[in-house]
Formats: sequence, C-alpha cells, structure tokens
Amino acid sequence: MSTWLPNDDRLGADSDAGSLRTRAWDRFRFARQAYSRVVPELGPVAYIFIAPFFILFTLFLAFPIAYTIYLSFFRYEGVSGDRWFWIDLGPIFIEVPRIAELSFVGFGNYLRILGDGLFWQSMFNTTYILAIQVPIMIGLALALAVALNASFLRFKGFFRTAIAIPVSANIVAYSTVFLLLFNEQFGLINYMLATIGVEPIAWLRSEFWARKTIIAAVTWRWTGYNMIILLAGLQNIPQQLYEAAEIDGASRIEKFRYVTLPQLKPVLLFVIVLSTIGTFKLFAEPYVITGGGPTNATITIVQYIYREAFQSWNLGYASALTVIFVAIVSVISVIQIRIGGDN
Amino acid sequence: MSDITLTNLTKVYDSGAESVVAVEDLSLSIADGEFLVLVGPSGCGKSTTLRCIAGLEDVTEGSIQFGDQTVTDYSASERDIAMVFQNYALYPHMTVRQNIGFGLKLSTSLPSAEIDEKVDAVAEMLGITELLNDKPKELSGGQQQRVALGRAIVREPSAFLMDEPLSNLDAKLRAEMRTELQELQADLGVTTIYVTHDQTEAMAMGDRIAVMNGGVLQQVGPPEDLYRHPVNEFVADFIGSPSINLLDATVQAGTLSGPGGFTYTLDDPTPVEGYDRVRVGVRPEDITLVEDGENTAIVNVVEPMGNENFCYMELGGVETTARVHPSHRPAAGDAVPFSFPEESVYLFDPDTGEALKTKTDEATDVAISA
Repeated sequence: MSTWLPNDDRLGADSDAGSLRTRAWDRFRFARQAYSRVVPELGPVAYIFIAPFFILFTLFLAFPIAYTIYLSFFRYEGVSGDRWFWIDLGPIFIEVPRIAELSFVGFGNYLRILGDGLFWQSMFNTTYILAIQVPIMIGLALALAVALNASFLRFKGFFRTAIAIPVSANIVAYSTVFLLLFNEQFGLINYMLATIGVEPIAWLRSEFWARKTIIAAVTWRWTGYNMIILLAGLQNIPQQLYEAAEIDGASRIEKFRYVTLPQLKPVLLFVIVLSTIGTFKLFAEPYVITGGGPTNATITIVQYIYREAFQSWNLGYASALTVIFVAIVSVISVIQIRIGGDN
Repeated sequence: MSDITLTNLTKVYDSGAESVVAVEDLSLSIADGEFLVLVGPSGCGKSTTLRCIAGLEDVTEGSIQFGDQTVTDYSASERDIAMVFQNYALYPHMTVRQNIGFGLKLSTSLPSAEIDEKVDAVAEMLGITELLNDKPKELSGGQQQRVALGRAIVREPSAFLMDEPLSNLDAKLRAEMRTELQELQADLGVTTIYVTHDQTEAMAMGDRIAVMNGGVLQQVGPPEDLYRHPVNEFVADFIGSPSINLLDATVQAGTLSGPGGFTYTLDDPTPVEGYDRVRVGVRPEDITLVEDGENTAIVNVVEPMGNENFCYMELGGVETTARVHPSHRPAAGDAVPFSFPEESVYLFDPDTGEALKTKTDEATDVAISA
C-alpha cells in the first residue's frame, strides 16, 4: 500500500454493504486529499492555465484588430512572397514571409469614404432597417414578456420555448425559408394575401417591401431571444412593489408605467444596445434574401465591407470602412447608455 | 377612519391537488382608532389575514367590513388603507419625496404644490426632511422604515396595516421605533392592525392582541388578560418571555404528581375535579428559590441579566425556568428547592389544552387599573 492511501479503519471496514458507494467515494476523496498534500505547490502553474485564453485572444482578436487599423492606411496590392524576417539556428531555419504587398496611402482610404455613394447608401439602408426593426422588436418582446409573466397564464413553458426557439435556427437556413415565403409568384405570403383578395406584392423587387422583408425576418429570429432576457428582468422585480403600488391606488397601466418600466430599465437598456449593435452588423439575411438588392436598397454596411474586401479585394479600403463602422457603432452605444443609464 | 369587522373570514390556497387552509373561520372586530396586534408563530395565518384586509388576497369565504361598508370584493386601491411592509417596499427609482407623495399623486386630484406641502409636513413629523431628495438605497434601515411610515401617514387612510414593520431593524432601533410608532398612532388615532411574530412587541404595543395558531384565532384581549388568563395552553405558552413552565402531572385527591418527584397539593381542587391527568403551568417569575421549597430541581445554566437572573433548571427531564433576584446565583449542578403560590398556577386540560385554572391573584390588578 502506498503511503498516501488511507488505512482501512478510516473507512469503517465493518459498515454494512449498503454504503458501498459512499465508501468508494470516501476512498476516492481521501486519496485525492492525500495526493494533493504530497504534490508540491507550483506557483507559475496558474499562468499555464490562463495562457490559452491570452494566446487565442492575441492570435484571433488583438492582432486582427491592430492589423485592420494598420491596413486601413495602405492599399493592398496582392499576396507577398517576400521574406519578412528569418531566424537562423543552424540546423533549423525559420522564415517568416510578409503578409501582403502594401503601398502606403495615408488617409487616402478615409477621404475616399466621404465621397463614396455606395457607403452612404449602405449607411442609410442599415439605419433605416435599424430605426424600424429595433423598436418594433423590443416593443413586441416586452409585450410578450409581460404577457408570459402574468400569473393567470397557463402553459407558460410551452409558449416561452415556442417564442424563443427561432434564435436557434441557422441563419442561412431560415433566411432561405424567408426567401421562399416572400417569393412573389410561389410564396406562401402572397398566396395567403390572395385568399383575402390582396394583389400579389413584389416583396423582393420593390425597395420599400424588400427592406420590410428583411425587417420581418430579423424580427422573427430575435424577438424571442430578447423576450427571454426581458422576462428574466421582469421576474426580478419584487412583488411587494406591485402590492405597494396597488395600495397607493395604481391601476394596471400605472403599475406598468411606475413600477415595471423603471425597474426594467437596466435590462431594457441592455437589450436595446445589444439589438442595435446586432442589427448594425446585419449581413447574412440581406445577403441570402435580397442579395443587397433591388438596386442596392438593402445592402448593409457589413455587406458592403464584405464586397469591398473579399470580392473586389480592396482590403485597405475595407479596413478603413471597418474602422469607421466600429467607431459609429461605439458612438451610438455610448449615447444610448448615456441617455438611458443612471449616471 | 373606521372600525373594521371580519366575519367568518376563511382563506384557502388551492394549488392543484392539495389545498391549504391559511385562515379558518375568523371573526374579529377592531374598534375605531384601536391598535390591534395579530400575533402567532410563522405560518399561523396572521399575514394572510392582514393581506385579506388589505385586499391583496381574495377571500375564500366570509366578509370584511370597514364601518358600514362591505369591502370584501373591493380592490386594494379602493379600500382607502395604507400598508407598511416588512422590507418597506419603497420604490427604488423614486426619491423619498416621490415615494411619500406617490399615493396622493395617483389617487387624489390634489395639485402638486399641495402634495408637496403634505409631504413636507409628514417628513417633518418623522424627522426625515433632510432626506427628501435621497433615493431609498442611500438610506439606513431605520430611515427607510420612516419613509415607509411617511408614505402610509400622508394618505390619511382609514386604517394602517403593518406587516412586521420592525423586524428588519436591529434590537435597539426596534425598541425605539416601537415607542415612536405607538405615540404616532395615538396622535393620529387611526385604526391600526399590526402583524408580528414577536410576543414582546405584541405585549408592548397592542391595545388588544389577537393570538393565532394554525389559521385559527385563539384569543383576543388586552395584553394583561392574555398573559394572566389565557384560554388555552398555546396562548399561555406563546405569551410571556421566558415562556411559561409546563409539565404533565397526575391528579390524586387534589395532589399533583409530576416528573422528577414533583408534587404539589392544591388547596382548592375544584378545577381538576374529574381529571386524572393535567398540564401544570407556572410562570418563571412566580417561582421562588427558597430553602423550604416543596420541590427540588437541578440547575443547568444561570443567565445573569443584570437586574435579574434566569435560572434554567431540570425537573425530571423537563426544563424549568425561574426568574430570580440577581443575588440568587446557584451553580450548575446544584439541587435547589423552589416554591410557587397556588394563585399563580395555571392548569390545562391535557387533551384539548383548554385552561382549567389561570391566575387568581387579582388584587394587584385592580390597584393598577384604578
């Protein structure tokens, strides 16, 4: 028997068979305790455990961000075959190539943005979709959350799951379904409209309707997600506040106005900021459903960046667009938090 | 302002398969301007009763009347009552001024200037004027308590309902607020129903006390009455601190015999006629440690209180407490003889708990109340 294994009398050798499992677990626990006393404490071990995060963070986040900013001051000329630097260790020779062939343009990319009609068009499209979609979705999510929070409602679990389930849908898959639903000739939507005598609508060929189709799709997918967050917020409001308000003479609507809304404000703010950022980053839905059309009426900023970067290979210009895009989103979020937050 | 009458009030919680009777057939009238304390152990139905009166719970059966008006089916906001909650339930996003004025803003058509005046007046009465622009989270527990009171007072309701309003305060502040609340209620003369689990609070504050147990009202009366003349063993045990000493005894020709060789001969055996067993109760302060005591107990612990000593003793496996002069300090393990007068003995039916005999030393009573 090795020294750190416990002796048998500690385990109560004569206890009944029913406690076999308990005894096995005890043996395991004693062994582990004894083992950890034997192993020396290693201070730097902690760094090994936290290292993976920092390595991955640097590789996939910090470096790309820094490189995007760097890239935004250059024009991309193509892939480089040149050697950037090398390390000669005798038998081992490490060669690091240059990433890309770049030519410095200073603020050229940024100046070009100012006069880029398509950039402004995509800005307008994104803002338009955002200004309609986010309020509708938050309003809907709040209404559903309040309804689901009502004490008299039955089958809450079912409704909650049913409403929240779209968020688990694959973006391309659900976008394709919307593409089919809103098909002008064979789509279910136009078919149903026809049954009540409405002329078929050119969902994807009209600028007006194409944007509405995108709004409908995004709202369908994200309402339930926001509802769940708001519902959690609602359930955190102390019941006694409602009782106090009731005794103070508050009606149902006054209770909502004076208790629910102010108590929900931090959660509501969180949901609004998150949704704003989310819709600002809109890409897959217009890419699949409208392809940015008709006549660039639904092209979003991210979609435009994607086009510039990976279809036209203007990586420098796309980087400048990205920097501007991040700046705009950050400013909007900060404004929202300033307006909505308590100090 | 009005009197409140509960008639056969019953509240049943129906949760699918099983239903729980929280309050059973409770009838009670509270006079106009009276301070009534509802007291009982947790789960006895006292809070449910209060919430029924407030209109926060539906009544299963029975009726509630404010004055001549039956309010059983009225919503909380229609009842013209104010409630103080245990955790105060102040609106966290409103200032103290807004918290106090909120009820007036919603339920009256007073102009804002007048509401402000009323709030100022109440704030001054409670000494919280300098806190009016603070938010609840900036206040201490005692200050929050005052704001909650202010919110109730400013509405000039027909009744105050208080649900354990002092139990979140520390002991010293609780005692202070107890007095202050009583003075305030006396000044305002508003009918008040006060729920607590603390019998000391009940004794100290109530004009009358209603003791509840298991959803059933046990006894209603002035504090002294409940203490001296409980209707049953439960009330006797619940009221008084330290609790009354209780033990089982057999009866033989007017002589009671209990555990640990306990014997006591009654001069007047009429209360125990027809019983061969009884429960005997003696208040700790009625026990005196004397050398020629009829019975002897073994001392476990002595708690010195300064002005008196609590002497915890064992009498044949039953813990017995004596409240004695601070000069009496027996050591643990000592066998001490003790005695008590027959006028202070309580006797209860062993099966129903019903009181057969309570205190009979009425003389001092008359002297005090005269």
